[in-house]
Parts: sequence; structure tokens; C-alpha cells
Amino acid sequence: MIPMEYFLILAAILFVIGAYGVLTKSNAIVVLMCIELMLNAANINFVTFAAFNYDIAGQAFVIMSISVAAAEVAVGIAILLNAYKLRKTTELDDAKLTSMRW
Amino acid sequence: MAADIISSIFGDMTPLAAMIFLLIGALIMPAVQMFGKKHTVTWCVALLMVILSFVTDVILLTNDVEATYLGVKLNTYTTLMSMLFLIVLFLVVLVSNVSTETTKNHAGAYYALLFGATLGMLFVASSSSLLTIFVGVELTSISSYALVALKRKDGRASEAAVKYAIIGGMSTALTLYGISMIYGIAGSLEINDLANYVTFNDFTWMFGVGLICMIAGYGFKIAAVPFHMWAPDVYEGAATPVSMFLATGSKKMGLAVFIQVFMAMFIISATAGSIFGLTVQYIFAIIAAITMTVGNVVAIAQPNIKRMLAYSSIAQAGYILIILAVMTPQAEAAGIFHMFTHVFMKGGAFLIVGGLICAGIGEKISDYKGLAKRSPFLAAAMMLFLFSLAGIPPLAGFTSKFFLFASAVGTPGAADGTWIWLAFIAILNSAISLYYYARVVKAMYIEKGETTEKIKIPTIFTVAIVVCLVFVIVLGVYPDLIFGYCEQATEFLL
Repeated sequence: MIPMEYFLILAAILFVIGAYGVLTKSNAIVVLMCIELMLNAANINFVTFAAFNYDIAGQAFVIMSISVAAAEVAVGIAILLNAYKLRKTTELDDAKLTSMRW
Repeated sequence: MAADIISSIFGDMTPLAAMIFLLIGALIMPAVQMFGKKHTVTWCVALLMVILSFVTDVILLTNDVEATYLGVKLNTYTTLMSMLFLIVLFLVVLVSNVSTETTKNHAGAYYALLFGATLGMLFVASSSSLLTIFVGVELTSISSYALVALKRKDGRASEAAVKYAIIGGMSTALTLYGISMIYGIAGSLEINDLANYVTFNDFTWMFGVGLICMIAGYGFKIAAVPFHMWAPDVYEGAATPVSMFLATGSKKMGLAVFIQVFMAMFIISATAGSIFGLTVQYIFAIIAAITMTVGNVVAIAQPNIKRMLAYSSIAQAGYILIILAVMTPQAEAAGIFHMFTHVFMKGGAFLIVGGLICAGIGEKISDYKGLAKRSPFLAAAMMLFLFSLAGIPPLAGFTSKFFLFASAVGTPGAADGTWIWLAFIAILNSAISLYYYARVVKAMYIEKGETTEKIKIPTIFTVAIVVCLVFVIVLGVYPDLIFGYCEQATEFLL
């Protein structure tokens, strides 16, 4: 049997990669993808704990969080499309997209 | 009597009664818009659903009904918080039809999203498990992203929505990771079990990581510093009724989460004075102090009134976070009461800004020059709301801040007198805040405007402003109207 730590380390690595991407990437679509990575890292955690603790609540949580993530990305992409129509860019550090500071 | 009627209609599902009306509202609004043709019809149906929900909730609150249905609780706390969210929804829906900023072509979707967001808030207030709280918060957040983006042709609104969606998504991911850690260590998602866990177990670093992730994730939702950068942009970009909804409703939901999760988890170990409890209290004390200071100091430099109000509501969230540091039932009651007064004073200020935008006045503070001559009522009302936010007696803001700071000074129990410094910082901050509120008052009353032409804002805006004004004055003079319920609500923390 694979020990629990392996799953948790995999999740932690995925989470850190996602967080790094969110903080450094400037393209909004890549940032949304990185957010998905972070969410899925948390899902792996949940499934691992649910399997090793023999508790079903964690698996129920994963189903919920997958649907929440889907809704979140659907709304996020729609908002991005609209912003692209108005400003012609999806680069977050482009002055055309982010005009408001402080 | 009336409570019996409600329980005979809904049966076991009485805890969901107020939510069911909102759900029906959210589902039928697009159809109503399609078949009703006139915007006024859509608006009337929306208002009817809000009032039904509100009346149900008030009846349940005044009759002290207690019940549980599938983990959804019904007690004084849940009905009181639901009432707060429904007041916000009522004020927003009331002015949405006449506001020139809200899109009339998508009125159905607009009201459906508003109802969906409020449904999430009510769900959060009634739930006792991290799973339901997570789902409720996400329901509210995702609806709010869409609400901000609904001003489709406006560049600023879509920019704000992009920022809001991305930062919100990140906070969701952080929260979820935190919850997964806590679930793994404590083996349960029920807050009762988690409270038992932290009371009887020592601190482990993994639990600490989970806790920090959760505090950061929900800190984004209430715009606590250093997670506040989205708030001014979003409040500036969104239509003013939506900004008001976010500043008063959405933020209170975040604070409700803090009360229900962190306060419920740590209140026992904090009262016992354990190291674990004390560490968490200090974390919140530092967040509270930084949040109120940054909010107030940055607000001074803002030329746009909506941004200024956004920073001021960041500062107000800082004041309310004091209760997480103090962690006593008295503090909780004071915090809930401050949430109520904040709804009326901040809501009123946003309503005036929204009304003036309808009348063609801009969002800059310099546009408010000579307002006292042009509309004495609006200038006086704005002055009262701003002074109430600064905490000048006898207005509601003073009373609630007094309760809040008093709870920090006179903490009984293990940490007696520990939080006097926090109350001191909060009082200093109130003094700073008076400076930028007085700047608006100075522009309205002392500086001369270009014209003295009278301003006419839509009547419904005036009605909503008067409602807020009445409560700002009444709650200042007679706080027991709501404070009694706030004290009762603290009994249901766990």
C-alpha cells in the first residue's frame, strides 16, 4: 500500500506550482488554470484523508468542490471574454486591462 | 400564532423557510422578465419575494423558534443574521429599478443573481459544517462576480470583475486547501467536533497550516489587509447598488464565517487561556490592527467617493475583527450589532452616491461641492451617515463602536486587560477616519459649487435613504431594539 505521505506531498507540490503560477503569470487564462491546479491539490488531499480515515465526508466534499470549481471557471471565462471584447487583451499587467491602482 | 402558520406550511423544513422564498425568486425571475415585458413588473415580483422572505424571517426571530433540518440550524443567531442579509437585499432591490446604472435588459438575470447571492449568505449563517459553509460562500462569491460584470459595456466594471474573479478564485483554492488540512487532522467537518479537537489537543504544525490557509482565504472575502486589494477596484467599477450589496452584505457573510468557524472553534480554549487559543487571538488582533490602520490611512488620499467608502469599509471590517481577538460572548454581541449599524450607515452612504449618480453628479468628492445648497436633505443625510461611520454620538455608529471597544477593554477571564492596546488603536483610527469623512462634509457645506441648481433624485432612492436614516438615529438612541437579540444570539454559538 502506498503511504499517505506520498499523496500529501503530491498535493502540496501541485498546490505550490499553482500558487507560483498565480503569482507570476500575467495571462489571465493561465492564472485561471493555475487556480484549477490549486483546487485539485486540495481535492487530492480530501480524497486521501477520506480513504485513510474511512470517512465518507471528504469524498462528498470533493464532489461539491469539483462542481464549484466548474461554475467558478465558467463565470471567470465569461467575464474574461467580455473584458477581452472591451479592452482587446487578457494580460493582467497590461495597462489597458488594469487601469485602476490604489 | 404566525410562527405556527409557518411551521404548518413548511413542516420539518421550517429552517429553510426564508431560503425557499429566495430560491423560488431566483428561479422564476428570468421567466418573469420574459413574460412580464415591463421592468416594473419584474421589480414588483422581486420585491414581493424579498418581503415574503423577510417577514418569514422576522416572525421566526421574534418567536424564538428553534429547529434543525439536515444540519441546517434555526435559532436566534441564524434568524438575526438572515434578517441582516435580507435588509441589505431589500434596500438593493428597492433602488435597482430606478437606478440608471443597473442594466434593465438583463433585469431577470440581475435579480436572480442577487437572490442567489443572498441565498448563499443565509445558507452560511444557518450551517454548522465546513462543507455547507464552503458551498454557501461560493454561491455568494460566484453570483457576485457575475453581478459586477453585468455592467457589460463599461470597461471599469469588466476590469473589476476580472480582478474579483481571479482573486476570489485564489481565495477559494486557499480556503479549500486549508479545510482539507483541518479535515485530515481533526477527522471531521462539523464545527462542534473541531471545537472539541482544539480544546483537547495540542497544536500541530499541519493544523496550523490549515488554519492559516483558511484565515487567509476567508480574509480575502472580508477584504482584511493584506488581502484587500480587490475591494476598492470592485466597489468603484460595479454599479452602485451592487457595490452597496458587496460592501454591506457580502462582507458581513465573511464576518459571519469568522464568527461561526473561528470563534466557535477557539472560544473555549481562549477562555481557558491555552497557548493555542492565545496564539490564534494574537493573529486576529494583529490582522485587526493592520486592517483598520491601512483602511483608514489609505482612505485619506482617495479622490473618488466610492473608493473612499471602500477603504472605510475595509477599516470597519478591522473594527469588527476585534471580536475575534477578544473572543468573548459580549464581544460577539457587540460585533453582530456593529454589523447591523454598519449596514444602515454604509448602505445609506452608498444609496446617496447611487442616487446622485442618477441625477448626473459624478463620483469625485470635488463633485459634491455646494451640495448643501443644491439638496439640503441629501447633504444632511450624507453628513449623518458619515458622522455615524466615524462614531459621533448620538448616532448608531457611536453606540455600536462603544460596545465593541468596551468589550475589548473589559475582557473578563484569563486574558483580562490584554486587549486594551487594541481598543486604543481602534480609537486612534476613529479619529483618523473623522478627517476624511469631514473632508466630504466640508465639500458639501463650506466649499462653493459651480451652480446652485436644485437636484432631484428618484423618489424611491429617497425612501430607501430615509429608512436607513431612521435606523441610524433610532439604533443610536435605543440600541436595545436589536442589541437584545444580539445578546441572545451569542448563546447559540456552538
